[in-house]
Amino acid sequence: MRLHPFRLLEPESLKDAIDALGRLDGEARLVAGGTALVAMIRLGLVKPDRLVSLHRVPALSRIAVEDGSLVLGAMATHADIERARVVRDGWPLLADAVRRVATPAIRTSGTIGGNLAYAEAASDPAPALLCLDAEVRVAGPGGQRAVPIARFFRGFYEAALEPGEIVTAVRVPPAPAGARGGYVKYTSRSAEDKPLVGVAALVALDASARCVEARIGLGGAAPTPMRAAQAERALRGEALSDAAVRAAAEAAAREADPLSDLMGSADYRREMVRVWVRRLLVALRDGTN
Amino acid sequence: MKLAFTLNGRPCATETPEHWTVLDLLRDGLGLMGTKYGCGEGVCGTCTVLADGRPIRACLVLAAHVRDRALMTVEGLETDGRLDPLQIAFAERGAAQCGYCTPGIMLAAKALLGENPAPTEHQVRETLSGNLCRCTGYTKIVEAVLAVAGSR
Repeated sequence: MRLHPFRLLEPESLKDAIDALGRLDGEARLVAGGTALVAMIRLGLVKPDRLVSLHRVPALSRIAVEDGSLVLGAMATHADIERARVVRDGWPLLADAVRRVATPAIRTSGTIGGNLAYAEAASDPAPALLCLDAEVRVAGPGGQRAVPIARFFRGFYEAALEPGEIVTAVRVPPAPAGARGGYVKYTSRSAEDKPLVGVAALVALDASARCVEARIGLGGAAPTPMRAAQAERALRGEALSDAAVRAAAEAAAREADPLSDLMGSADYRREMVRVWVRRLLVALRDGTN
Repeated sequence: MKLAFTLNGRPCATETPEHWTVLDLLRDGLGLMGTKYGCGEGVCGTCTVLADGRPIRACLVLAAHVRDRALMTVEGLETDGRLDPLQIAFAERGAAQCGYCTPGIMLAAKALLGENPAPTEHQVRETLSGNLCRCTGYTKIVEAVLAVAGSR
């Protein structure tokens, strides 16, 4: 079965890509790996007149450390990110989350910029990037800007991108010194599925084992990926006792705002937020994740 | 749209409509029917081929995006008339039933073994979790992949 026909533009500079996207005739869509967009075209959910491919724009797939922060070009694929030594050594939480995206074949093509711009609630990388206080770099007709990832997900499948804007990179600051992190993905059907619920967490303990930093990111728990701010507050200053962990898990379940779909009901999702936040925090405390 | 890439070890220069996927190009442009159309949405895995040694879903990747890359399809598994060890193991162990999922599964397994020559059973099952077999023949498939890994 063929795709609905479109013209394919392959600009060789970011400026040309922005211009091609911004032209007012018909509907243009940006394509990176195509793992989401081509499936949507196939299903008839979108019928663009033209696709603007980012494959020939130089320097968009770099993976580098700049001023202590990890910089991932928007076209860096999940496969490249999960294998990059610099990511595995310096940002293991992100490497763990990225290697859980779908299947090896999807990770070969799918890109970090595409994953974020798609703004799906059940993203694997997003909860990790939320914990790491990442920043999304964007270029458009009005110039360049940086958006804190906490403000990047505006609504259900809606990113904070203006018409003609393109995600160019993600900057990921280092995790707090001494912090331990982990990502757990719970799927209700099979390993390669989207997360029914995904939980990322970073905790740092002081000398008396009290929590000086606690960050919890959730996927699949609301219309967008989210930070569990109330759960984080419940942990700060506390030792990670069973009672404190339970209180944080209850708080996360309360602040979650899940949807029902074929993978599971909203009630089930909320319960799984409670279960998996608790299990991840216990594993981080005990060093068993 | 003109397009040049490497296909099963040989240079390939061709022309393709701009909206064609790699799967359209392989089957309808180049007449290589080994790669199958399943779901068309990247879920079932039967259209899996290798690009630069890594698996891709041919139904989701635009033909333009394999420009200058090296593609391998099931037709490229055989070298100089000799079957790939995976093909032999699949045949010997009856790991193909109707056979529709088999090309994608062998290429997904080929990519896994290329990167990890001695995978555990869990790693094989996790890697192949995105390749659906509706004859439900996973046991023999996993055994065949592990047999190749063990024989190296």
